[in-house]
Amino acid sequence: MQVLGTAGKVVLGLGMAVVLWAAFLYAHPAESFVGESSRIVFFHVPTAWISALAFLLAALHSGLYLKTRKMERDDAAAAAARLGVLFCVLATVTGSLFAKVMWNSYWNWDPRQTSIVLLLLVYGAYLGLRQAIEEPERRATLSAAYALIAFVSVPFLMFAVPRMYASLHPDTVINARGRIEMSPDIKLVFFSSMIAFTALFAWMYALDVKATRLVRRLSERAGGFEA
Amino acid sequence: MRLVAENVSRAFGPRRIFGPLSFATEPGRVLGVAGPNGSGKTTLVKVLAGLLRPSEGSVRLEGPAGARLSVHEAAGAIGWCAPDLSLYGELTPAENLEFFARVAGRPRARDEVDGRLASVGLDPRRLRSIRTRFLSTGQRQRLKLAYSVLSDPAVLLLDEPGSNLDEAGHRAVAAIVAGQRERGSVVLATNDPAELALADERVTL
Amino acid sequence: MILRAAAAVFVKDLRTEWRTRVAINALLLFAFSVLVLVGYAVGPTRLTLEDRPVVNSVLLWIVLFFSAMTGLSRAFVNEEETGTAAALRLSAPPAAVFLGKLLGNLALLGVVMAVVVPLFLALMSFGIAAPGLFLAVLALGGVGIAAASTFIAAIVAKTAAKGALFAVLATPLLLPPLVAAVTGTQIAATQPDLVAGLDAVRLLFAYDGLMVTASFFLFDAVWRE
Repeated sequence: MQVLGTAGKVVLGLGMAVVLWAAFLYAHPAESFVGESSRIVFFHVPTAWISALAFLLAALHSGLYLKTRKMERDDAAAAAARLGVLFCVLATVTGSLFAKVMWNSYWNWDPRQTSIVLLLLVYGAYLGLRQAIEEPERRATLSAAYALIAFVSVPFLMFAVPRMYASLHPDTVINARGRIEMSPDIKLVFFSSMIAFTALFAWMYALDVKATRLVRRLSERAGGFEA
Repeated sequence: MRLVAENVSRAFGPRRIFGPLSFATEPGRVLGVAGPNGSGKTTLVKVLAGLLRPSEGSVRLEGPAGARLSVHEAAGAIGWCAPDLSLYGELTPAENLEFFARVAGRPRARDEVDGRLASVGLDPRRLRSIRTRFLSTGQRQRLKLAYSVLSDPAVLLLDEPGSNLDEAGHRAVAAIVAGQRERGSVVLATNDPAELALADERVTL
Repeated sequence: MILRAAAAVFVKDLRTEWRTRVAINALLLFAFSVLVLVGYAVGPTRLTLEDRPVVNSVLLWIVLFFSAMTGLSRAFVNEEETGTAAALRLSAPPAAVFLGKLLGNLALLGVVMAVVVPLFLALMSFGIAAPGLFLAVLALGGVGIAAASTFIAAIVAKTAAKGALFAVLATPLLLPPLVAAVTGTQIAATQPDLVAGLDAVRLLFAYDGLMVTASFFLFDAVWRE
């Protein structure tokens, strides 16, 4: 069975194309940002949001694995972590490009840059742990436990440390005053982009879960641990 | 208490080790587990002990009034002696037994521990200050037997209990099995015909 | 009952460690070598006055962190390698095992701190303006390191790579408390006022509480995997 039908693929592809067009040609650059640099918000924020979402999904499925001991949960957690790395790298790169334009330096250990590097480290450690264990049930259990303990630890840098240091990072989308301060055209493109990226992620995620499951079944049939 | 195994099997990844099997132990009786090398005896005993999760099926303890417990909940109800069992090499035999009695919540006095050592043919006074890692393999096997019945378990799981033992050692195994009959049941996995003769029933893998 | 069993595990580990002294020797030798290296290369006078608090705080925690990484995984790796884990699993309640091992790691780290910290302060002429805050940061940072290390040790003990994986898995978990501990140490070095370091202490306290609780509850799944 297909994860996404032809109609769905057409809608998703057209949607992404429209978002791309609008991000560069429809929305106006925001005030108080150097040149056209504010356009990065249409890509940076969705990828950062998805790397956090994927992390949440990995932790959620890890918890459910420990509860139910169903290997499907482990497939889902592993797929979420793999895609999380991809989007986390994209968020890091886009953020770094923006930093270069705004502050003339790709990397300046802004608290938010530090947090995203920590998230990358956690993802990397999680995937490294998975590779180090051959037996499927043991791999599933130990990596699930690690994902959950990491889930407890990461928010400390994400939320607590940025307050201990001054950050150059622009206000988050919903700022400290609890309002969204964007001009209407930027707001429209921004939320369209969030929806489009989330849908793209949902599709990739479903595909990866399915592929992981197939590989696992195949290796079970072949009689070896690796496919 | 009865140890009940229901459709139990274990696989490591795609490789099935044994099962599915169903059986139950009865108080006062000895269940023999026979089978050639590689047939999964050791893995089965570990699953019964709760040291390995069964891939399918369940293992539980059933009390007299039909009360059910998972093997994990019944601390001290199961005794285990197997080739995979190791005691602490840096502790003396008596310290080992004292430690395991204490963590299981049933502390034993020195005299009692010494009595347990003597019952498997270990001289408590001569071994007073000798660390377990300096014992001979046979002496260590005797210590492991003493460990397995330390908490007066309802179910005793013995996996090749006679390995590395001399004649007197084999008699100690027989005595332990006989003593356990008074208290509960025994699962005895072995390839030794003399030991299998102690069994009332037999499961062959 | 859990606490009594935990104490038994702790005493057993202490006794074993006393008879072999493997972990404590490795830890202290490592810490001492790094201290000598740092003391020689950086020394008390090579840094400008305003750089000292920052650089010394970072160096101190790097020494403590890497010492922890060399020794704290033994808590479980040893049990799995010598095959004693199975007997412990069968006889002791998991909560008691975790607490006993955590206590053992705390004691080990405490000994290392008691040796390393005074030496470091002396070798680097690193003055502390707020000793109370400094001790609080050391204690809270130590608890955080010990808790995360104990849990990660239980995980890596069951993998083939063991030691190699330990630091890889522990580092991301320990970055938040280490950053806070470095900040707190820096404040303790420069400001006699206790309130200035309150943010760091609060953060460490919250981390410790959450890490100990979370690893306590997750330990069962790892231990009886």
